[in-house]
Amino acid sequence: MHPLLGRPARLLLVIASAALTGVPLAWLLRLLEPRPWSAALAFAVPMQVFYGFVVLSAWWVCRRHPMGGAGSWRAASAQCSASIQASAVWAGMGAIWAVFLSRWLYPDLPRAAIFRDIGVLFTVGIPLYLISAIAHYLFLAFEASHAAERRVLETEVTAREAELRALRAQLNPHFLFNSLNSVNALIGSDPEGARRMCEGLGDFLRRTLALGARETVSLGEELALVERYLGIEQVRFGERLRVELIVEPGATACRVPPLLLQPLVENAVKHGIQDRVEGGAVRIEAVREGGLLRLVVENPVDDDAPVRRGEGVGLDNVRRRLEVFGARDARLVTSRQGGRFRVTLTLPAHDEVPQTAIPGAAHA
Amino acid sequence: MPESLRVVLVDDEAPARSLLREYLAAHPGVEVVGECANGFEAVKTIGELSPDLVFLDVQMPKLDGFEVLELLDPAPAVIFCTAYDEYALQAFEVHAVDYLLKPFGRERLAEALARARERLALAASRRESSPAEGDGAPEAAPAARAALARAARGPGRHAERIVVRDGAQVHVLPAERVDYLEAQDDYVAVHAAGATHLKHQTLSELADSLDPARFVRVHRSFVVNVERIARIELLAKDQRVAVLNDGRQVPVSRSGHERLKELLG
Repeated sequence: MHPLLGRPARLLLVIASAALTGVPLAWLLRLLEPRPWSAALAFAVPMQVFYGFVVLSAWWVCRRHPMGGAGSWRAASAQCSASIQASAVWAGMGAIWAVFLSRWLYPDLPRAAIFRDIGVLFTVGIPLYLISAIAHYLFLAFEASHAAERRVLETEVTAREAELRALRAQLNPHFLFNSLNSVNALIGSDPEGARRMCEGLGDFLRRTLALGARETVSLGEELALVERYLGIEQVRFGERLRVELIVEPGATACRVPPLLLQPLVENAVKHGIQDRVEGGAVRIEAVREGGLLRLVVENPVDDDAPVRRGEGVGLDNVRRRLEVFGARDARLVTSRQGGRFRVTLTLPAHDEVPQTAIPGAAHA
Repeated sequence: MPESLRVVLVDDEAPARSLLREYLAAHPGVEVVGECANGFEAVKTIGELSPDLVFLDVQMPKLDGFEVLELLDPAPAVIFCTAYDEYALQAFEVHAVDYLLKPFGRERLAEALARARERLALAASRRESSPAEGDGAPEAAPAARAALARAARGPGRHAERIVVRDGAQVHVLPAERVDYLEAQDDYVAVHAAGATHLKHQTLSELADSLDPARFVRVHRSFVVNVERIARIELLAKDQRVAVLNDGRQVPVSRSGHERLKELLG
């Protein structure tokens, strides 16, 4: 729907301004063939109102043929041919209207004058249509820049939200309660183990808070956090939880958003270990391939396990943060195959903090 | 000397079980007769040993604590042990003796245990005065347990699976694999993936727990998974059958047909 046609008030405005432009057209027609103002206006005003609506059709042509880049020439030619068509339609309408007027209201207008009027309509119609097309292109460009601005803002807001949610999810109270319960159990049977677990838990919390406050962290730091976490879960789940950690040495220096891997590992433990009697192996892989860093988190899954609600929310959260971080090069892909659920993250491999790359600082 | 109490511990985490064991060792007369690490084991062990009291975790693999309770008839006295506080209200609706939030201490456990003894003594005295009523531990009616399971899922959510017990065996049937349900006296026959399982529950209760967008009561005694319906055939006036993809037929009453039309548009 054309933006001007959506509301009655705007529609009235279109009709009124089109009717006003009927006055100069009437003046032009009187110049070519003298006639009373009433006759000229009776012909020109309705024709302009009609054409007012015809030129609005440029909107759809503009949207179909956007300006800029390789398509510009095609857009220009499409608009030219549309202008000829529109003008021809207008002239045709003008002929019908002129015949109607000459038969019923103004019979003394010579036939040659009517033909000339139609010619004027056709000649004037083409530039009028083109002016409308240009106005529409300007409007569309304005709207596009507005939308782009809004998108940038929205992305920023989602990124902040995602960070907050990640942090909140990080300090998962049930994880803490269960861990404290394990500590409680160990105090009786294995005081040394209880002590180690307290240390591990404290270390994990401190790291979580420290990493969460930063823009980026090294993959090594993130993995250290993940290892602390898995160490704590190991006490709870015992042999049910096996960990396979395969990290390429070159990958640990890469910068990643903080707490990116951690929620994925937590998911893997929940669905792959906690929800399964026999448990299994959580596998974490970090590989650097050219300019890209590939991270894989994999857990066993029962083939008949339904896709749970809530699983998607955590992944969406990670995906959004990844997009904010790596833009087009960042991807999150999930697959479920052969009894394994696998999340693969791909992101640009930066060794440095991206914003602080100072030119000329390397060697004086 | 307090009466002896036979106890089963159900928790998927070994440290949590050993903690309970340690705490309970301080209570004379309490005998831990079994330990289970998942819901399947729990159903089997509790069924075999009929303990006086069960310590039951909620979040476990395969079957959660509520599903375990749903499958036990008669249900034992239960003390829930979980890190999640959101199930507490519902737990008391099924007459759980107590609800221990992890981590908990010796005193809190002693309190729960005292409560359990009280409850069991009361049930025993009732049994003596009127032997016909009750047969041991205080138990919630299956209906109440189903209500609990529903409440535990939260509003607007539906059971994604049906648990049935066949002697010592427990089957977990994903809802999408169920073809139709059929009322048979006090049981519901669950027809799923070519097999039939009997579940001790009324058809209405079971149907209520399932997603109404998928399961439709087409007849007083039948609920059908609409995704299985190939076509509806009219046999006589107001007498229809739903023909399923595999050719089986399910009777459809007049009001059932209305409901089907409403759902399928």
